[in-house]
Amino acid sequence: MENNQEYAVVVEHVSKIYELRNKNNQHKTSNQRFYALKDISFKVKKGDVVGILGTNGSGKSTISLVLAGISDIDEGKITINGEQALVAINTGLNPQLTGLENIKVKGALMGLKKKRIEEITDSVINFAELGDFLYQPVKKYSSGMKSRLGFSISLALNPDIFIVDEALSVGDKGFAKKCLDRMMQLRDEEGKTIFFISHSLQQVMDFCKSAMWIEGGMLVEYGDVKEVCEHYSAYVDELNALKGKKKQAFLDEKFKKRLLAKQKKKSFFRRLFKL
Amino acid sequence: MFKSIRYVVKENFSNVYRIYSIAKYELLADMRDSKFGIFWNFASPSIQVFTYWLVFGVAWNRKPIEVNGIVIPYLPWLIIGYAAWWFCQPCITNGCSAIFSKTNVITKMKFPVSVLPATVVCKEFFNHLCMMLIAVILLFIFGYFPNIYWLGLIYYAFCSFVLMESISMILSVLTMLWRDVKKFVTSITRMLMYFSPILWECKFGKSVPYHTVLNYIMKLNPINYIITGYRDSVFYGKTFLDHPATTLYFWGLTLLLFAIGCALLFKFKKKFIDLI
Repeated sequence: MENNQEYAVVVEHVSKIYELRNKNNQHKTSNQRFYALKDISFKVKKGDVVGILGTNGSGKSTISLVLAGISDIDEGKITINGEQALVAINTGLNPQLTGLENIKVKGALMGLKKKRIEEITDSVINFAELGDFLYQPVKKYSSGMKSRLGFSISLALNPDIFIVDEALSVGDKGFAKKCLDRMMQLRDEEGKTIFFISHSLQQVMDFCKSAMWIEGGMLVEYGDVKEVCEHYSAYVDELNALKGKKKQAFLDEKFKKRLLAKQKKKSFFRRLFKL
Repeated sequence: MFKSIRYVVKENFSNVYRIYSIAKYELLADMRDSKFGIFWNFASPSIQVFTYWLVFGVAWNRKPIEVNGIVIPYLPWLIIGYAAWWFCQPCITNGCSAIFSKTNVITKMKFPVSVLPATVVCKEFFNHLCMMLIAVILLFIFGYFPNIYWLGLIYYAFCSFVLMESISMILSVLTMLWRDVKKFVTSITRMLMYFSPILWECKFGKSVPYHTVLNYIMKLNPINYIITGYRDSVFYGKTFLDHPATTLYFWGLTLLLFAIGCALLFKFKKKFIDLI
């Protein structure tokens, strides 16, 4: 264990399994289970900035939930040194309330103390650049404004490990730049460990030190950001070049790899008492 | 078992400000929705009571309630019982969806799920206080003025708070496992209302077969203890020491439910996200 101290996150053979429903949306008769994540192992050093790449549905968000400690894993072991937080932008905003009230709502939801919320209020207002809209209900906001407010509040958290899931793909370019600058500040000045999930290869290349490529629930590659990005973009190009049936066959093949035989389904009462 | 209780209690007490804020801003958001806002928190229970009073009190010509020689007119008798029910009923029905309605929060951030039932109960407790204000004003009009026994209301409010917290902890988890629980509970609460001494004394007369057994069964309902307690404090000048057996039974049951609720929340704390 001692030699793991320098690592922020140690993931050992982690798998996560979901149950699939059949075509008629019946849980009962379905006999398939599905690996959302399959046998993933990696170690991340403290202060590292890791980009997570992968095509849609390959388990990026699942891994972010697992790393954030929100979701439980079915197999394997995860060790996290320090406190982790998922940056959730639009969560916890109440559309009926004004921007100012929402700072308090979301702050409280994130578990900030009253004093801390008062401290951050001004900086949030400055960062979000809402102007007079601060006193309007959030339901009147444009989606960009909402994200700006949400992101600004999220920044008030001060964990050791940040997990950012597609957070910077919102808002206009100017604001995205501002967010990225702030994230860079966190990276360079405060030495936070950051997991950065994005579809924008450019952002990942600019921002991350290392990268991780997850495909079909499995870890394909983990290493220097440039190499992984190159391999990943080559793969995406190749996938896009495939046409019609070929592509479908390829995807089916990939899907099949993630299936596993189903155990007997636990009944409601079994789940309640024996789990 | 004790581990789970300690875990849930600790999580709730270390998040008091979070619970308070969630309850407060949810109430505020409800009020923002309507033009008259807080007016409805007073108006809707009043209209309910007025309806029951019209139907049962006036149309069916209920006689004043007489217990041990103390005669109470129907309307003040009804309103104090209904005030207690006005807290219990929404706590049970909304308690079911305490966790489910916050799906978007618990899937997107690290959140102490076990505080969610408490937020629902706190929110409803505010409505309860509004209703109590109306009830007290009505009692003044009927000529009942506060005396030392009214302090019993605080004790019984505490009782109902703990009972409702326990029930909503259990129901919120069961709803996550099995969505039908909410529908089932919503229908059952309607029935429960008539098997609690709100609109009638909940005592079967001598003409009913097995009336002694039935009356005992009625007393097993913990809500019975709360509503009777509210009335005892206001009208009959009794404290909880006057019913030691039911008090003991009530707390035994409540603590058992509380322990079950804690155990369920503890067991499923990390599974909720996969149950959605």
